[in-house]
This record gives sequence, structure tokens and C-alpha cells, in this order.
Amino acid sequence: MPAPTLAARGVSKSFFGNAVLREVSIALQPGRIHALLGENGAGKSTLINILSGALLPDAGAVEIDGRVFRGLNPRDAHRAGIAVVQQELGLTTQLSIAENIGIGALPRRYGLIDYRGLARRARAAMDLVGLNEDLATPVGDLPLGRRQMVEIARALFREPRVLILDEPTSSLSAHEVETLTALLDRLRAKGTAILYISHRLNEVMRLCQHVTVLKDGVVTADRPIEGVEAADLVRLMVGRDTGHLFPAWTPSADRDPILQVSGLSSGVLRDIDMSIRRGEVLGIGGLVGQGQEDLLLSLYGALPASARTAEFNRQRNLPASVRRANALGLAYVPADRKREGLHLIHAIGWNLMLPSLARAFSLSLRDRSKERVLATALADRFAIKGDLTRQVRALSGGNQQKVALAKWTPAEPQVWLLNDPTRGVDVETKREIYALLRRLASEGKAIVLSSSDTPELVHLCDRVAVMREGRIVATIEREALSEGAIVAAAMGADPLRTAA
Amino acid sequence: MNPGEAVRFPKVRPRALFASRPVLTFLIVVAVWIGASFVKPGFGAFGHLRYLVELGAVVGLAAIGQTFVVIAGGIDLSVGAIITVSAVGAPLVALAFDESGAFAALITLAAATVIGVLNGLGVAFLRAHPMIMTLAMATFLQGLLILLAGGSAISAQSPLLEWLGSARPGGVPAGVLVWAIASVLSLLALHATPFGARVFALGANSLAATLSGVNVPATTVAVYAISGLTAGMTGLLLLGMNGQGYVGIGDPYLLSSIAAVVLGGTSILGGSGTYAGSIPGAVLLVTITGLITVVNASPGWRSILFGSLILALLLISGREARRR
Amino acid sequence: MSAIESASLRLYWPAQRQRNRGAGGLLIVVAAFLALYAYLFPGLLSVGGVAKFAQSWLPLAMVSMAQAILMLAGGVSLAIGAMVSLGAVIAATTMAGPLGVAGGAALVMIAGLGVGAACGVIVVRLGLPAIVVTLAASFIVGGAALLILPRPGGTIPAWLSDLLAGDKPVAAWLVIAVVVFWKLYLATPLGLSLYAAGENPDAAYRAGVPVDAARILAYAVSGLLATCAGLFVAAKTGSGDPVIGEAFTLNSIAAAVLGGVGFLGGKGAMRGALAGSLLLSVMINVMYFLGFPPVAHYIAQGLIIIGAVALPEFSARRRAL
Repeated sequence: MPAPTLAARGVSKSFFGNAVLREVSIALQPGRIHALLGENGAGKSTLINILSGALLPDAGAVEIDGRVFRGLNPRDAHRAGIAVVQQELGLTTQLSIAENIGIGALPRRYGLIDYRGLARRARAAMDLVGLNEDLATPVGDLPLGRRQMVEIARALFREPRVLILDEPTSSLSAHEVETLTALLDRLRAKGTAILYISHRLNEVMRLCQHVTVLKDGVVTADRPIEGVEAADLVRLMVGRDTGHLFPAWTPSADRDPILQVSGLSSGVLRDIDMSIRRGEVLGIGGLVGQGQEDLLLSLYGALPASARTAEFNRQRNLPASVRRANALGLAYVPADRKREGLHLIHAIGWNLMLPSLARAFSLSLRDRSKERVLATALADRFAIKGDLTRQVRALSGGNQQKVALAKWTPAEPQVWLLNDPTRGVDVETKREIYALLRRLASEGKAIVLSSSDTPELVHLCDRVAVMREGRIVATIEREALSEGAIVAAAMGADPLRTAA
Repeated sequence: MNPGEAVRFPKVRPRALFASRPVLTFLIVVAVWIGASFVKPGFGAFGHLRYLVELGAVVGLAAIGQTFVVIAGGIDLSVGAIITVSAVGAPLVALAFDESGAFAALITLAAATVIGVLNGLGVAFLRAHPMIMTLAMATFLQGLLILLAGGSAISAQSPLLEWLGSARPGGVPAGVLVWAIASVLSLLALHATPFGARVFALGANSLAATLSGVNVPATTVAVYAISGLTAGMTGLLLLGMNGQGYVGIGDPYLLSSIAAVVLGGTSILGGSGTYAGSIPGAVLLVTITGLITVVNASPGWRSILFGSLILALLLISGREARRR
Repeated sequence: MSAIESASLRLYWPAQRQRNRGAGGLLIVVAAFLALYAYLFPGLLSVGGVAKFAQSWLPLAMVSMAQAILMLAGGVSLAIGAMVSLGAVIAATTMAGPLGVAGGAALVMIAGLGVGAACGVIVVRLGLPAIVVTLAASFIVGGAALLILPRPGGTIPAWLSDLLAGDKPVAAWLVIAVVVFWKLYLATPLGLSLYAAGENPDAAYRAGVPVDAARILAYAVSGLLATCAGLFVAAKTGSGDPVIGEAFTLNSIAAAVLGGVGFLGGKGAMRGALAGSLLLSVMINVMYFLGFPPVAHYIAQGLIIIGAVALPEFSARRRAL
């Protein structure tokens, strides 16, 4: 076997004391599409960053064509022919498509940018991915999916020998996905080594020849994809059968609604009718970005919204501010806990106390010993381990999420608005969060659970409202709840037939 | 304390205390004082050190508001202008019935606070960047000042200002007394009240603060109001010590207030820090200024030394860990 | 075939045109003010009038660009005014001496590039916040200016003053020269990288953009523009003054903000900053012409800056978050 074009040998990496990768090895061969699978938080992005020089490993080494590189940086990686399509878009909105494609590797003539050469080569890269926009269009004018294609064209512009794609299809249309897979097949045939990261197993099974599975920073499989079943891959990623993740479902819903809105409109939301009862878990499903987050934020008073009628706990009107919502007994746990849910540089205990401090009278004196007792009790109850004076960012994703949930319990919210609470969370924490949700429901709390994870919705919810383009297009009752029914409604198939 | 809590909240070890920025800055002050008194005999005299602390009170008062604003993730570039406005404006509020001058002082402080509130409103509701908002305010005030003072110095005599400038109850200069009281109050507000926690929340992550129920606009207005108030107090103290107010009297205190805050270990990016660091920071600053005066250098060299020393101190101790 | 191909491959000029969008409103306001000024002062529309106006605009235009470069790169400078003073005193003390005009001008440029680059290295490489570094730098640079020339004085050769600030519109040509210089800078790979480094430094770094080098170069170019503005100011007055630049720090920020350059990097364009400086300059001239006292300038300027920031906020109320 020839030396791999790009390989990692026994690399380890930790952040703030958390091991994210432990002695991981991976070898990318020319002419092969190599799948990298793993749950959120398994360490895939860290591995990519190490392979492309954006991060240095704590231990282990990166090899290019069998040569060991220490202190690899992105520029060296680019020179060696390694190109990465990042999951998070990194384009410069003010610059044109062509300038974005070329930046970092601009052709030059007499020290200036060779705009003619740039135009020619950028056009060629755009043709490969099926972008027919004008070269001079500012990237800020493009919709998300097209920007993703620009990102891919940027990688192709460098005529890479190694192409790394981090979830390239998450915001692409079906047609764009087809263009991309055909393109990858052509590149493979020409001898490019490709690393492909995706959550869509059918894509992986169809496209890739080899697979590496990461679980909690450790390689659990590294083998040809031939002869592997999709279910086996899932088991390798998750570590056990998913069936045991969820607690048994028992009905606990009241008859009368605690929260009811009709004709809610705000931002992308159009004419939403919804209600939720005490003791009920109401799921919000649908494809990513159909207005689920705006719906939760509108109910939480964080987005200006209007409604024909709204009733909450016998109060009329939607809450006008977050503080009002809190006072009414609403709590919101954001999906992006690092940016919206937590204060990373502050102590765990401090974060746990913040909602209480936000409500307290401004100039009263804080009772430290009482705060300590409360924080300790919360940490015990949510199994958050260790010293609470550490910064929250020192915790793993799962533990951070537990802090984001736990901090609201002293306020005893009547309605919990949860936005993808298990995103990037390890399996054990997922199990704990699921159990917590059902427990809260059995205590008579109402829970609105927006989730991109369909099995979650099926196993936990009393009802699921499916959103598409800012509207609720179907509400599926418990009896009719299945992954198929939710997906069908999300894609625009007739939901009533499946529900009936 | 039960054993569970002891694990959750371990006692701070004495070692760790010495690594904390306020203590470190304090130790630097002590070291500089000891070093300087060996080199220059008069430096370590009680009278001289007391004088330094008295000067430190001026910077320290201005730094109170700046500390609040910086911890809340902003910056107040109008501090110097507010100081000047209060020092020039206070003598103009001479009222017949107001023999002690207390009423004039109150009006001045109220006006300074209102200026701060306007800054806060601009930042919170117009969403002007703090630097732009406060710079614009400083420009605006500069025009106002010329209207008020017409370019000449205005002297003021009132019992209150005289007391501020020269009284020494129990051997402690009145300015230092005021500073001490204000310091205790602001430390309490910052670290022992829910309001203080909200200031930290706002500076560390305003989005997460909003979603956690913190009233972000009100907190923003409050910190700029505090900054206006303490700048007003600084102006009055300066007026008392100088006997007259003139255009430009507050200018040096803009950089000093920011430098004191940053030297004291408060992150200019917001979200972390303490006024406990700004106190030795302010004293360190006036000590440096005093030493520079001692070397009898020309204004140019003084300015260069001042800037370089601040830069050097920052390089030694103030490097921000890159937050990503 | 080749005609179609070359049409679809046109890039540079179309991309430039695209960047003009959104500047329309500002340009209309600037044009309106210019028209008002020309109406009040018909002499503006002569060669001499253009010359005088360009002379009052050029230094502000240069410092606005100096500030805007840094803001595009995600920084800011509070030392612009001190740099202008430094440029002015170096010019006033060297140009009449043995170095001559060329040598003096070279010194001014070297000082600007050097001090600017030093600030850049401290901010970018040592990770100190730009506000604090440039504030400290303003003391150091201002002190250096005082050392070079403790009180107003020095001389600029009369022929140079006549050339730059005489009846001929040389200053207007200089404005054009500065714009061409900026276009050339942006047409270099490192210059264009400024936008990427300002908007999203992490992503730019991953894409192989030399982020640190681009930002340090931006600081150096900013310093160069500021000291050259100082040279021009000295030529205009015929002598040097160690504190002449002070007002430029605020004015440069004001012009850039008026022109829509954002504080967080990568937002806005240089043409906006130039238009902003033009607007500010015209407004000051109009106010002088109408006999407003100097006080009104400050007050008006403060209000205008706040208004410029507040207007977009009112016209497009964004999401509450």
C-alpha cells in the first residue's frame, strides 16, 4: 500500500483539561473517499482542524506523504495541497464570489492580484460545483446553500490533493447534493484523497469506500465500508442500541391548556396556532431553520411578536420581555449554549445562580452561604461533578448543557422552552436529560421541545407540531407519532393521511 | 459548612491569592515605593506618600465608573469631559441661599449623572458603539464648555469645596476619605449585590444575559450613570484641590482612569475584573507620574515615559488571554 | 465566443461597482451639502476655490482613511492625532535643513510606517487590546513630537508651501493620488486580505490568509497616512506645531463612522470613509461661512455622529437579539 497522502498518527488533544481526542490515527489514501462518523462532540471537528494545521495536537503527529510535520500551520497545509470545506461558513460577505474563492491563494502579477487569472480560475471552480452567478456578486447577496457551494469552490480552486469536507450537505438542496456527489466521484477517480463527514448515513453508504468512527475521542472502527450495515455504524457511534436511551412514556397531561396562542406572527413566523397543557411534552419538529427558534423566542418575549389571542396562566398577551416571561413562569434553554446559554468565563456556581440574581432586588445584599447551599444542591441533583468555582468552559458539552438546564430550576418554571437541548451532548447526558424531561412533565410542568433529532420527538412527546417555512403544517398526536410521519410532514407530504 | 459544599467551594489557598491581579498590583506599588525611597530620600516620607494617595483619590474616583463600564463590556471616553464640565460648571451654580455649597455640588453631581444616563441610553437604545457614543458626548460637552466658561478659568469658593480640597479630618485628607467611602460602596455594589452580578453577566455575554432574564438596557444605563456620577465627584474634588476650574482640567484623567482599570486586572473586553485592582492601579499611576516629575524631565520626555511605562506594565501583567 | 467569454470573466470593475451599493444615500447627502456650499460660496466653482477646498479636506481625508483601515481590520487607533503632530514636526524641523525636502519627506514616511507597524506588532502579536495600546502610543508619540519641537516653530520651505497650499489645486490632485494609492494597496493580495482578516479572522486564518501580516501592514499604512497628513498640515501653515494633530483623532473616527465603516471589522468601505470625511469637511466649511461660532461646531459634530449611528437603527429595526 502506498504512503497515505495525509495521515494522523496517535494524535491527542484536550481543551481546558477535557480530552477531546485520545491517540487517534487516520490515514487518507489517494483515490478513496473516506467517511468520518461520530456523534456531535465526538471530536470530528478537532481532528479536521489538526489535519489541516488550524490546531496543533498535544501529542502525536501529522504526516503528509509519509513526512512528519510538526507545527503544521494552515498555510503549509495549503501548500501541501490540503483543502478544507468548513462546516461553519467563513466567507467575507463584502467581497465578491471570485475574491472569496481565491483569497489566501490569489494569483499575482507584478505583485498585484491578477484579476484576469483569478476570474478564469474562479469561474472554472464555480463551473465544477454548478455555480452560475456572476463572478463579481458580493457573497453577502447569496442564500446559505449557495454560500456553501462557494466554500466548496474555494477548496477546489486550490486543486487539492486532499479534500476535507465537514458536513457539506447540511444546508444544500437535493439538487445541489447530487451535483456535489457526482463531483466527488470524479475527483476520486482522478486520485484525490477525500475525507467526508456527514450525519446522513445513506449518503455515506453510497459515496464512501472506507470509514472511521469516532466515539468520545477514540476510534471505534477503521475499516472498508463494504459489508457494513448502517445499523452497525450507528451502534459504533453511539455505543449501544438507541432504544434504551429513552425513558418509558406514561401520560401525564392535564386537560386544560396552560399556554395558548393563535395567529402568532413574527419574523418568519406566519399565523401560528398552538397550545400546551400542564404535564405535556409538545415537540416542535421540521427541517432545520423553519422558524422553530423564532417560535420559542417569541413565546419567551425575546422577539417582538404579535398574536390574535394569547393566554398564559390566565394572563392575556404575549410577554413583552424576557423578564416578563420569567415572571410568568417561562424558561428558555437555547441551542447554542456557548453563545446564548452560559457565561463561559464565569464560575459554574455563578452561572447556576444567574437567573435568580437577575430577578432579585438590585441593591439587596447577596447571601453567599445560601447561594452555596443552593448551587451545591443543584449540582448534586443534576450530577454536575466537582468544584463549582471552576469556569463553565472547563466542562464538557454535556455538563455545560446540564448547567444551562439546572440554572432555571430554582425559578420553578411552569413552561420550559427547550431548543435542541441534546445538540452536541454525549449519550449518557442525553439519557439524563430525557429522564429529566419526563420527570418534569410528570410533576405537571409543560415542556416545548424543539429538536432536530426525530427519534427524540417520537419517544418523548405527547404531540409533535411540525413546522415548514414559518408555519405549523401538521400536529401529530401520540398515537400516530412515528419518524416517518414527522419527516413526511416536514418534507411537505400530506400529513393528515399518515396521522389518520 | 457541610462536606459536600467543601468540595463544591474549596477554600482559596493563600498561594493563589498572591497570583491575583489586585494583590499583584498592590505589591508592585509597595515595591516601587520602597525602591524610590532608597533612591530619593524624601520620597518615603509620610507626608509625601499621603500626598500621592491624595492624588490617587482623583484618579481612583474617576476609575470607579470606568471599572463598572469596562466590566459591563463598554468604555467611557467622556470621563475627561464630564470631569471638566463639573469642575467648570460647579462655580456657576452659585446660589444665594446655598451658603455651604452643598446644593451646588448636588446639582453638579446630578447633571454629571444625567450626562452618564444619556451615554447609557445611546448605547442601550440607539445601539451606538460605546466608543462612538461617549466620544460624541465628549465632543458635544467640549462645545458646551466653551459656552459655559468662554475659555477662561473660573475660580470657586465654597466651604464644601474648601473642605474637599484642604481638610484633614484625623490626618486623612478629605479627598481620600471620600474615595475610601466611595470605594467601599462600589466594591459592595459590584461583588455583593445582584446588580453587580448583572454587570458581570452583561460584559461576559450580553446575549446570554438577556436570555437569562437580566434587564440589559437598565443595567447598561446604570453603569454609565455611575460613571457620570463618579466623574462628577472627581471634578468637584479637583475643583476643591485646585481652587479653580478651567477647560482641559479633566483631560489627563481619561487615560488615567482607563489605565488604572486595566493595570488593576480588569479585562478591557469586559466580563471580568474588580475595582479592588483599580485602587492600587490608580495609586501606581500617580506614583509613576510623580517619579517622572522627580526626574525633572521635559514635558516631552514625561509624556514618553508615562506612555512607555503603562505599555510596559501592560506587557508584563496585562496580556489578555485570547478568548475564542 | 471570445467576446462572450471575456464578458463573463470581467471581475475587477464589476466588483468595484458592487461595492458602491448602499453608499447612494450618503453620496446624495454629500452632494446636497456640496451644492449648498457652492450656492453660498460661488467661488468654490473656480480653480482657486477647488484648491482652497481640497486643502481643507485633504488632511481629514487622509486621517479618515488611516482610521478606516484599522477599523476594517477590526482595530481602532486613538493615536492618529499624535501621529499627525509627529509628521508635522518632523517635516518642519528637517525640510529646511541639510536633508532637504526629499529627505524630510522620507523621514516622515519612515516614522509613520515604523510607529504604525510597532503598534500593529504589539496589538496583533502580543495580544494587547488596540484601544489601550494606541492610547499609550498617543502619549509616547505625542511626547516624541514635543521633544522634536517643544513649541510651535520650524519652517517648511516656502516653495513647498506654495506648491501644496497655494493657488493651484495640487491638493485636489493629491486626493486623487491617495485614492489611487489605496486602490493599488487593495489590489495586492495582502491588502485585500484585510477584509477577510477583519470580518472573520479565524476562518480567514484557516483559509490560509496571512491574517497577522495583513493586520500589521494595515497599522503601518495607517501610520503612513497619518504622518503624511501631518506633513501636509505643516506645509499649509508653513511651520510645525507639536499639538496640531489633536483634533484629528476624534474627527477621523467621526468621518469613518459617518461613512458607514463598522467597529467590528470587515464592514464598510474606504469610499464611505472618504465620503464621510468630505461631508464633515463641507459641514465645517458651511458653518464657518454662515458665521457659526466655533462652539457650534463641536455641538453639531457630536450630534451628527450620534445621528449617523442612530439613523440606521431607526430605519431598520432589527431582531431584538
